Amino acid sequence: MSDPKRLLMIDDDPDFVEGIKAILVAANYSVDVCYNPKDGLKALQTGNYDLLLLDIMMGRGAEGIMIARKMRKDPKLREMPVLIITGIREQMAFLFPGGPAHPRFVEVDELVEKPIKPTLLLEKVSALLKAAEANKTKQDNV
Amino acid sequence: MADELTFSDEIANLLHASHGNPLNTCIQCGTCSGTCPSAPFMKHSPRRIIAMINADMKEDVVNSNTYWFCASCFHCTVRCPREIDIAELMYALKRYSMWNQQYQEDLIGPTFSETFVKTIFGSGRSYEPVLATSYLFSFGVPEFIQEAQTATTLMLKGRLPVLPARIKGLKNFRRMLGRIIPIGGLE
Amino acid sequence: MKKYAYFPGCSLEKMALSYHVSTMETTSRLGVELQELEDWNCCGATAYFHIDELLAYTLSARNLALAEKENLDLVAPCAACYKNSYFTNEYLKEDPDLAEHINFALEEDNLKFSGNISVHHLIEIFVNDIGFEEIKSKVTNPLEGLKVAAYYGCQILRPKKEHLTVEEPVFFEELMKSIGATPIDFAERLRCCSAALIITNRHAALSMVRNILHNAISSGADIIATACPMCQVNLECYQKQVNQEFGTDYSIPVLYFTQLVGLALGISPKQLRIGSELVSTTPALSFAKRGSPNP
Repeated sequence: MSDPKRLLMIDDDPDFVEGIKAILVAANYSVDVCYNPKDGLKALQTGNYDLLLLDIMMGRGAEGIMIARKMRKDPKLREMPVLIITGIREQMAFLFPGGPAHPRFVEVDELVEKPIKPTLLLEKVSALLKAAEANKTKQDNV
Repeated sequence: MADELTFSDEIANLLHASHGNPLNTCIQCGTCSGTCPSAPFMKHSPRRIIAMINADMKEDVVNSNTYWFCASCFHCTVRCPREIDIAELMYALKRYSMWNQQYQEDLIGPTFSETFVKTIFGSGRSYEPVLATSYLFSFGVPEFIQEAQTATTLMLKGRLPVLPARIKGLKNFRRMLGRIIPIGGLE
Repeated sequence: MKKYAYFPGCSLEKMALSYHVSTMETTSRLGVELQELEDWNCCGATAYFHIDELLAYTLSARNLALAEKENLDLVAPCAACYKNSYFTNEYLKEDPDLAEHINFALEEDNLKFSGNISVHHLIEIFVNDIGFEEIKSKVTNPLEGLKVAAYYGCQILRPKKEHLTVEEPVFFEELMKSIGATPIDFAERLRCCSAALIITNRHAALSMVRNILHNAISSGADIIATACPMCQVNLECYQKQVNQEFGTDYSIPVLYFTQLVGLALGISPKQLRIGSELVSTTPALSFAKRGSPNP
């Protein structure tokens, strides 16, 4: 059996993190957590992760958007799949008159809204990892 | 990356970019509470709220009126001998409370902030009569009449706008804000 | 002639129109040109910091970028606009990641923040750029006998700016002396006017306003001078409510420092929009030798 895939989660909500982490660990993923954007960026730059689970509203504000943008400009991190899990539409309900919360200008791979069902979470993570793998093989063959 | 995250850690994460020292450097001297002009009206003084955060009393802190009674005068911040940015802490608590939609029920602060932010999203400039609606309902009849009288006098003296001001480049302005926070309905 | 980008802020459009008008009248006579920022936006006040600080920085950064486009330093007459513009400028300069992110937003408006201008409060222009000697030399109507409570409020001084003392400032009193007025000792001069609490916590706010009014009056002031629209409105327009709440009978006029400077320069009260107050300035200004408004 191959080594477990390494996931990083950047999210400031300890209760939410606890739940998601338990689901992922039970599915044989290795999960590291950072609770603020600053530690998160440091971990991304020093660690070697296969996928990032990213919150939006943290620290000063919508700092998840800032991280996602920064990754897409970084040659080392550009290929890493990003799954945004956010409660932004609920958190900022007064600014979202029912509109979609997708950040069209950030090239994240997927965005799902909290709360997320365990089956959907595992589905999304596995699909993103597979797609990243396929992408990598394709590039290696070029 | 501790497994058990305390409330104090959560607050530290909200303040990760703050220019002040961490809350656990507080020596409980009370300079902040002695300086704060709002302290007599707060359920817990600033000094006490810091002690409560450090003691992990999350529910009591979030459900108190303390941080909503901060007027952002920054007197505590400039006087703190440990250089803790206490006013910034109050902003962080407000963000926490807004994002989690958890605050003491009878407060006007949260509604006022939402109304203000929405007004600027809509027009680029603030407009007093719209802002007024967030608090007028909380008044009794005599207060309401007095407020209306003051408003009328100000209007007659040419000091209240009849129409809201708008910036010209409103479309770009809204798209600009949409790049920072992905609000709906921009397209 | 020294020229600045002028960011009046939302209050000066109507509520504090007299501040705007008197600013224009006085600066032009003192050799300073204020060019209003084209299509400026709200500074975000404090409310934006309650929701998202990155959004707050974006609002101020847009104004800074508009000033940079004109290659002019920014001047704000409102303490809150000044504080937000000043610190956004500082924070974006010291954090390139933050500046890059905010610049990504500014692209939507074809603007760019570079951090190559400085930010000043209007009163600093009078104190540092024009200077007391120059002002004195232009005074034709010294406000002799007028006892002024020079009220600094909060955000001009706080949080601490590189170049300003937070505990023992004297520049406002010195400015009042330069126009012939007598600044009084006034302990509450650095205390808070209650700002937006006047809306969100009326009782606390009125009590804070009362403390300032009481201290100014008992210290012998004829008039309070302010350098911020929020301070002016809270201290002046709510005196009636204060009196009702606390059974007091305070009645002290509150003018902008620019209106007092204007009177000393010989500008007519009407041109300074004196007369749009809720508390009459007539008794106080009759102390001054000339330039008092028509009864």
